[in-house]
Amino acid sequence: MNPRRIALIAALLLGLTACGDESWHGKSIEGLMPELEFELTAESGETVTESVFAGRPVALYFGFTHCPDICPTTLARLVAAARRLPEPLREELQLAFVSVDPQRDGPRQLSDYTDAFSDRMVGLTGSQRQLKAFTRRYRTTYGYEEERSDGSYNVSHSSAIFVFDASGEPRLMLLDSLGVAEIAADLERLLSREARNADNA
Amino acid sequence: MKIVSGVLLVIVLLAGAVWWVADMTPAEPLEIDNPRIRLVPGGAPMAGYFTIANHTDSPIRLVSAASEAFGHVMIHRTIVSGGDARMEHQDSGVLVAAGETVAFAPKGLHLMLMGARRELQVGEDVEVVLGFEGIEPAEHSVTFTVVPVTSS
Ligand SMILES: [Cu+2]
Repeated sequence: MNPRRIALIAALLLGLTACGDESWHGKSIEGLMPELEFELTAESGETVTESVFAGRPVALYFGFTHCPDICPTTLARLVAAARRLPEPLREELQLAFVSVDPQRDGPRQLSDYTDAFSDRMVGLTGSQRQLKAFTRRYRTTYGYEEERSDGSYNVSHSSAIFVFDASGEPRLMLLDSLGVAEIAADLERLLSREARNADNA
Repeated sequence: MKIVSGVLLVIVLLAGAVWWVADMTPAEPLEIDNPRIRLVPGGAPMAGYFTIANHTDSPIRLVSAASEAFGHVMIHRTIVSGGDARMEHQDSGVLVAAGETVAFAPKGLHLMLMGARRELQVGEDVEVVLGFEGIEPAEHSVTFTVVPVTSS
């Protein structure tokens, strides 16, 4: 093959991947899961529903505050990615942390925790019934491990960030393997598309 | 001019001597790098991270950790599988093979520091005693730095 042909094929292949519609870093869950709906307790102590996000896109993570490793790591990445968004989009995105450990994560604990990451992050939790309904809706689970002698225990939970658009439709699952740049790229792509749709409407 | 070159000569000699001595000192058999504790507010456990390099020619094992600043310290590993995350207690400690380096890093091995006895501040030093098998002395006191929760 001559170099020119190789260059041509390479250009074609590049063009193809660039056109491939779902080239998200995360996983598209568009149409695969039901729209955002819940009843939980906010870090303010009030009972809230999805309307607490006031029609803004949301990036939501399930965890617990006594999780010293993966929860802070993931939330820190999410916050860093959100900070990289261009100005109008950055203002739009709401961040949410849903604790699946209501026994230890009361409103005060949740608000101290989320404040340490970002003032754009809201903490939510609920009764076991509410949390089970919510996690089941997004096909994820959580569970408690055996208590240690000091009364502490570990909680297993989803490792992905769920992203919902302004109308509450589930759009993306950002897996824990993604770095800040990849999360930021996905969020920017999703949010700028949203902004364009809103302009057209 | 003479003074300047004299001073230069002394500097060069000194630098050479320092370099020679540094080169002669054998590497620490056990090297702990970048020890840090990620500050979590609200009394929740915090993670401690570092790397251990074993410069000896036999395996060593990290078997315990303790700190005056915390009620209890455990050695954990985060396991992510099938989209779920959980932590696993390292019952038999963590092996560092001869000549190998093991990293305690986010989303993997970490010290789980529980029940802080006082409020910690970013930038503060915290002593943690790491206990080993396969090396003498068995206990190494390591100075960890408290870093913000948003750091990696
Ligand atoms: Cu742990």
